[in-house]
Amino acid sequence: MASRSVLLVLANLLIPVAIVVFATGFFPYKPFMPGLATYEDSGNDEVLGKGWKEPPEAPFDKLVFMVVDALRSDFVFGEESGMSFMQSLIRDGTALPFTAHATSPTITMPRVKAITTGSIPSFVDVILNFAESDTSSTLGTQDTWLAQIKAKDFDNGKGKLVMYGDDTWLKLFPNFFERADGTSSFFVSDFTEVDNNVTRHVPEELLNRDWDAMILHYLGLDHIGHKAGPKSPNMVPKQKEMDDMVRTIYTAIENEDHLANTLFVVCGDHGMNDGGNHGGSSPGETSPALVFMSPKLAKLTKQSRRESPVRPKHDGEFEYYRMVEQSDIAPTLAGLLGFPIPKNNLGVFLEEFLGFWDNWSDGARLLYWNAKQMKKIVEAKYSGLRFDEEVLGAKDMGFECSPSATRLTDGQSLACLWQGVQQSKGDSNDGTRHSYKFMREAQETMSGTASNYDVARLFIGTALAFLVCGLSFFTLPKLRPISSAGIYFTITLSLYAVLMFASSYVEEEHNFWYWATSGWFFLLYIDSMRKDWSNKWILHPAFATLALHRVIRRWNQTGQKYAGADDIVNSGIFHSNSIILWSLIGATYMDVTLRIARHIARSVATFDTEQKKRGDIEIESTNQNRMMGTIAVLPLSGTAFIFKLAFTAKDAPELTYGLTGDMLDAIESLDLVGLVRMVFGGLALSASWIAFAEWQRSKKRIRRGAQGNGEFAVALFDMITLFLLTQTKAHNIPMYLLFRIQVSLLTLIDLSPTATTLTTLLLSQTSFFALGNSNSISSIDLSNSYNGISDYNVSAVGLLVFLSNWAGPVYWSLAGILLLGSHGATQRYVDTKELHVADWVAQEHNYLNNMARKEEKNREDRKGRRAWGEHVALLTFWTGIMLCGVMAACTALRQHLFIWTVFSPKFLFAMAWGVACHFGVTVGLGGLVWWVGGW
Amino acid sequence: MASKVTIDASATSKPKPSTAAPIEPLKNDAARLYTHIHPVIVLSMYAYKFNAIVADPVPALLAILAPLAVLQVAYVAVCLPPTGETPKVRKIKPGEKKRNAPGVLESGVNGTIVPAFLSLLLAALAATPLLTATLVLFGAPVTTHHLHTLLSGAHIALLSTLPLVYVHGVRGETWRQIVALLMPIDEVYGGMIGTMLGAWLGAVPIPLDWDREWQKWPVTIVTGAYIGYAVGKLLGGTLLKGKKIMFA
Repeated sequence: MASRSVLLVLANLLIPVAIVVFATGFFPYKPFMPGLATYEDSGNDEVLGKGWKEPPEAPFDKLVFMVVDALRSDFVFGEESGMSFMQSLIRDGTALPFTAHATSPTITMPRVKAITTGSIPSFVDVILNFAESDTSSTLGTQDTWLAQIKAKDFDNGKGKLVMYGDDTWLKLFPNFFERADGTSSFFVSDFTEVDNNVTRHVPEELLNRDWDAMILHYLGLDHIGHKAGPKSPNMVPKQKEMDDMVRTIYTAIENEDHLANTLFVVCGDHGMNDGGNHGGSSPGETSPALVFMSPKLAKLTKQSRRESPVRPKHDGEFEYYRMVEQSDIAPTLAGLLGFPIPKNNLGVFLEEFLGFWDNWSDGARLLYWNAKQMKKIVEAKYSGLRFDEEVLGAKDMGFECSPSATRLTDGQSLACLWQGVQQSKGDSNDGTRHSYKFMREAQETMSGTASNYDVARLFIGTALAFLVCGLSFFTLPKLRPISSAGIYFTITLSLYAVLMFASSYVEEEHNFWYWATSGWFFLLYIDSMRKDWSNKWILHPAFATLALHRVIRRWNQTGQKYAGADDIVNSGIFHSNSIILWSLIGATYMDVTLRIARHIARSVATFDTEQKKRGDIEIESTNQNRMMGTIAVLPLSGTAFIFKLAFTAKDAPELTYGLTGDMLDAIESLDLVGLVRMVFGGLALSASWIAFAEWQRSKKRIRRGAQGNGEFAVALFDMITLFLLTQTKAHNIPMYLLFRIQVSLLTLIDLSPTATTLTTLLLSQTSFFALGNSNSISSIDLSNSYNGISDYNVSAVGLLVFLSNWAGPVYWSLAGILLLGSHGATQRYVDTKELHVADWVAQEHNYLNNMARKEEKNREDRKGRRAWGEHVALLTFWTGIMLCGVMAACTALRQHLFIWTVFSPKFLFAMAWGVACHFGVTVGLGGLVWWVGGW
Repeated sequence: MASKVTIDASATSKPKPSTAAPIEPLKNDAARLYTHIHPVIVLSMYAYKFNAIVADPVPALLAILAPLAVLQVAYVAVCLPPTGETPKVRKIKPGEKKRNAPGVLESGVNGTIVPAFLSLLLAALAATPLLTATLVLFGAPVTTHHLHTLLSGAHIALLSTLPLVYVHGVRGETWRQIVALLMPIDEVYGGMIGTMLGAWLGAVPIPLDWDREWQKWPVTIVTGAYIGYAVGKLLGGTLLKGKKIMFA
């Protein structure tokens, strides 16, 4: 037993180690240069012509940078676009249009990083956004074009920045802005207010002379996308509104003297897919528009075709005009506004703008600096190769660079290209060509993924995950006699590990769990039919849970293939008449209320002096106690319900149509943060009170030598349920009523410990997907992540994000504990000694014996750790297999086309399952509930 | 007797497997031969119609429903002992091979054809709705594809339930043992388990992104059922014959 515990602890400790080792190998290391770039860095390059130390004269001295969230390329350039003014500018030649390729993950924060630093943030930034401490996750200390403008000397002193719009910028750039007004994208149902908050500042700011760069970030268009998709009737009016803003600003640039040298950039940070969501890497999501505007641009577009609207290069895709990288924005701004290119930039100065400089050497110098700055990053990555700023022979290089030389590694071919830049330095045509060739290759290699894995770590990580399986295998409960649960557990795990290699099954993972769960419920039915005394056929609890499972799996459509297909939530029964939805939600809250009231009543009864005198039996609550309990709980659950209503009225108003207007108005005016804090506080208070009462009871029981019923575990479960309801979207709340019925039905089925664990596993996974999650970053729901938090607090927000997305698995992990120990089940204390006198029928006899044995066993189980240990062992084994499967798939398929779109998001989810869900919930929270159940 | 039973609180109650003997096919040459030919004919028929089923499942599945019923009725009538009758009863009439012998025909009609058609009736009227409901519980579409699902249910019922009703009748306790997987495996029981498992496993390829026409509902399910039936019947009649499914 002891050695088993040691093995189990070891296996569990290895889980995070395996994940970290694998992650560091999988998410490539990116060289990072600290500090701000300056022109002095630029070295000794006389060949580049006279005045080589001076930057070429900048055509612009002011910048208006307008980000329209989720502005997909076709929203501006397409034939159905509402942005007619911008299209007329393109036709006039005063606007230069591009499609700016955004790399996955296409969510705002990494995109802003890419736009401002010119680097290419990877998936690891998604985690770092949550994991890093407040100061280091900001870009305040990094080299960005904002920092460069702030550091640049303008006529009226150092650069000044103003910012209006998405407060992501304020989080990333704290204390950067002279004036700022952040809007949060908290309620996606808000289409107008978020944008009006930006627009109202603009006319005033256009008259101010003190700023050098103004950043605007509009969120309304993204909100429309999230709510109703790109074809929403609100979309074109919103584009018109944005177009009017562009007209206002452009007209000011034309008319105001102090804005004469202003560069105006409009871009999207990412696009959206057909469902209106983003995060992944479908063409729609990765193709935002990018437009540079200024009357001065007419000089550049004399020869080019000035057409608009146009059709995309390939039908159904979103490539309009030239496709450039989003990171190219940073060096282009640096060249056009005359400041050094940010140090970590991997972007390439857009060649369309070279026409600004009549003297070729100015342009060549700009490109050479760009190339040299990128070379430094390349050099840091390939430290073994020589990237000297002089022409080197093959001897110094260590390999031959001739065009015929094949089989060069990525680093070697970059070194050769750099040599090309050196050789052609000072040449008017070749210099430009070689610089571009080097930069494009460097951009591709450094942002490319294939070459950057640390394969050794991938293998070590996978091996460690395998070791977790191996270690936990020896802690598993006895394998014999072979049980149906054991067989099904094995089949589920092996099939899951295999399916992780199929990209479509990663996308459609929910189907696997729905399928496996249906099969398992049917097997439970077969199992119970094997008992002689079973007499239920159709109305069997296993069938009833199967039927509920059938409803639950249709509640939310999830996955990629049929994303947006009809489900219960979107079928219209909740939208046309919210009374149905809110009655169901009310019923769910009522159920939880009554359950908690019972626990409160029990705790009140603990201190009942009337009953205390008897002293030798467990005190049960009286009707009077129950009345008190209900009255005590009602304010708490009432507040929780009102919070949900108020929150939904703001977050998803379509779900509150049909409710009385006056009541809603009153509720909407309530302070959400205060409400939810009251709920959390009330829950904490009730939990501590019940804990105190149960502890008192436990002490008395020990004195009597009696055993408890695990009531406190049930109480804790019910209170955590209320917490999870607070963290769940309104339309999903009725599912908890269905879950609760399933739990009750499962208590009617005689489940072996292994069967209970397997049920827990299957239903945890099922509930995760049924609540609308999938293995895609875009399905992560952030709407409940700020409950009770008024200012940005990384760890609290991260915890709430986890709890609101993994609410189902948390619920079922704890429900599984209750099923495992039969906590709170009515005890009949059948005296088996009397059975042989009282029996008439052998079957009845057998049944009672079985029940008595089980009750006895459960009482013993709850006291000890063994049953829980085996439960954890099985789930550790599962986590090991899951990680092993995902890691092996990611390792084997690391060159696969879908590695960044399907497999690496899956790995991120596997990390969350392995660390937060297994470690935090199954072991941590589950252990707590099991422990208090033994009081 | 009851008073002698002492209860041990730690004793586990193990399921009691059925003591019934596995079903033996009839001991005549026609039965021995046809029992092996039958799955081949059923599968060939399905394979012949497969493209039509993929193209338009409802009419194609409907078209082969009657032939399947005829084949199954013929199979049970020729090869299997009807319920309540052991193969030995048949042995009493050795050497009676001539089909046109009126006495044999008469007893054949009463002894095998009538039960076979009764089984067909039960499979069609009782098993089909039950199996269709089960399909829905396992995830078949509720709002659309009603005929598709109903026809799948009918095919599964004809494959799995018809022979079982023929050999085991409709006794409740027997059927509890059948559902509980407590019967000894034979070609009929194996065929049923194979059909069910095949239909269940048939759902696995549906979500794959191969974009094949045959991935649509309910082609994979029915195909799985047919293949499962043939495999289950073969294994049940040979390798696994007489084995019992033992798990706690």
